Amino acid sequence: MNELRAKAKELLTNGTVKVVIGYIESTTPDRTKPFIARTAEDAEKLVFNKYCVNNLALYLTRKEFRRTGVVGIVAKGCDVKAIVQLIQENQVNKDDVYIIGMNCNGVVSELGQDFSAETIATKCLNCSVRTPLLYHTLLGTLEDLPKREDKNFVLMQKLDAMSAGERWDFWEDEFERCVKCYACRQACPLCYCERCIADKTVPRWIESSAHTRGNFSWNIIRAFHLAGRCIGCNECERACPAEIPLSLLNRKMGMVAKKEFDFVAGMGLDTPTLVGTYNLNDNEDFIK
Amino acid sequence: MEEKIISLDNLSFFVNDLIKDNHIVIGQDSKEINWKRITGAKDIVVNSKNIPSNISYKEFVFAKTEPIIYYKNKKDEFDIVEPALPRQKLVFLGAKPCDARSIEIMSKVFNWDYKDKFFNERAEGSIVIGVACNYQDKFCFCTSVGLSPVTEKGSDLFLVPLDEKNFALQIVTERGKEFIQPYQKYLSDGNQAKSKEILSKIKNPEKRFETSKVSEWLTNNFEHKIFDNVGDICVGCGQCAFACPVCHCFDIVDEECDYSSGRRMKNWDACQFGLFTLHGSGHNPRETQGKRYRQRIAHKFKYYQDKFDEVLCTGCGRCSRGCPVGIDIAEVVAEINSLA
Repeated sequence: MNELRAKAKELLTNGTVKVVIGYIESTTPDRTKPFIARTAEDAEKLVFNKYCVNNLALYLTRKEFRRTGVVGIVAKGCDVKAIVQLIQENQVNKDDVYIIGMNCNGVVSELGQDFSAETIATKCLNCSVRTPLLYHTLLGTLEDLPKREDKNFVLMQKLDAMSAGERWDFWEDEFERCVKCYACRQACPLCYCERCIADKTVPRWIESSAHTRGNFSWNIIRAFHLAGRCIGCNECERACPAEIPLSLLNRKMGMVAKKEFDFVAGMGLDTPTLVGTYNLNDNEDFIK
Repeated sequence: MEEKIISLDNLSFFVNDLIKDNHIVIGQDSKEINWKRITGAKDIVVNSKNIPSNISYKEFVFAKTEPIIYYKNKKDEFDIVEPALPRQKLVFLGAKPCDARSIEIMSKVFNWDYKDKFFNERAEGSIVIGVACNYQDKFCFCTSVGLSPVTEKGSDLFLVPLDEKNFALQIVTERGKEFIQPYQKYLSDGNQAKSKEILSKIKNPEKRFETSKVSEWLTNNFEHKIFDNVGDICVGCGQCAFACPVCHCFDIVDEECDYSSGRRMKNWDACQFGLFTLHGSGHNPRETQGKRYRQRIAHKFKYYQDKFDEVLCTGCGRCSRGCPVGIDIAEVVAEINSLA
């Protein structure tokens, strides 16, 4: 933690960056929250631990930071995937961001939990980017991760085995709780559209009502818009007050992208985006 | 106040009877996500120790989405049909003090100028069976907004857990008395001394701020930077407003059913959304998240107080527990209190 504070202080003092987006301790020690450090004094408050769940890449596309100059960001491996994807999608200029990469030893799935094998986030279980793929400075050391069964994957296999009707019933049950707060969208680093299709009213493509039709159209369209783009940080699922298992949709889409196009989002600055690429060799057998 | 005793078994029989008598009994979901309609004794969760659910029960009186008219477009005129609004006999079972007050508080705004019949039809016939609260974490601040874990305010009947198997049932209002009348067979005589002793042992959450002081500060510090500091990290997701037991903003939209007919819907909305105040001209009076956050605080701790003499907050802490970026409303208001 001291090396993080020292680094942030150094960057802010010598003018390398204008702000550092990082984490500070929140209401209880087992919670952190995002923080924008603007001065060396601010940098003294920064922390990094197993409760740093937020994907701070979310803040990079904010207008007020775009104008600031170089922005420093404290980022775990998965957060860096989001940054890479944002760079690839021309939303963030790669020279305008300074990544303080953190070697990551897993985070909790929800704020307010003790870190243990039970509570480690699903995305951490099979993480391949515990050391970020891209960084300007790398801090921290790797330790062994606690292990547990990937229940999310088991559930996904169960869903795959279901008939279309059964799957519909499953999602109808889940979406019924949706209150249309759009917290999933707001918490997503890749949902950066200035005007979301859900907010368009002339014509209204997606009904804003939280009834079955409105909830299905919103959640499924969001999943489609993230196909081949979602980097799997699961912030949508964490933000959802109704605890809808949105990661099942996004993870499935990610697996399809991998299987059909051998593509994983956010893995490198040299790989063009999936949706933005036309490739003659692409599999076409899904077009019927 | 009259006090009776009801055993856990009798509570199940009582709820079963209520359901048979066409009451709609609403209880907290066992997963602590939201509240749902209880279909039988197996669904009953009356637990003074559990955490407040992620989402409050307001959706049963103030629906998250509902049609307010149906329309059919004829050549030169419209046919308008009002939706049928059957009077529901709602019973909220196991509401903690921070939930129990919600209907009373919202009722002020829904009956101030226009009388909102959609709210009233449900709220007026509803019965709140409260329960003393034995849960407490760092996000609870009911004592700061004039409530407490043991207050019967807002409840018609109030349960106090005596031991593993028995509750004291306090009859708080006339309505509560009338409501419980047909079910006397499940009640036995109570001993006020015992429930008093149990209630006195429940610890209050720390009082974090003085609402009158906060309200006065807000009057004079409209442009203070504290709001922009929160706005810096707030992502405007609206989780806070949707989980809140007393946030009551809604949007009205028309939904087409086909080319000539449709329905007008009343849907939840939240002041944390940029679209909430966006004018047709493109101008947005609350264009930054900081200004939107200021609205949230000022509405809860000043405007509502000025207008209805009521704090628009019950101190349940749902907004803070659920905030994806860890904004703690009590912390913000306590900071305001220290500035005042």
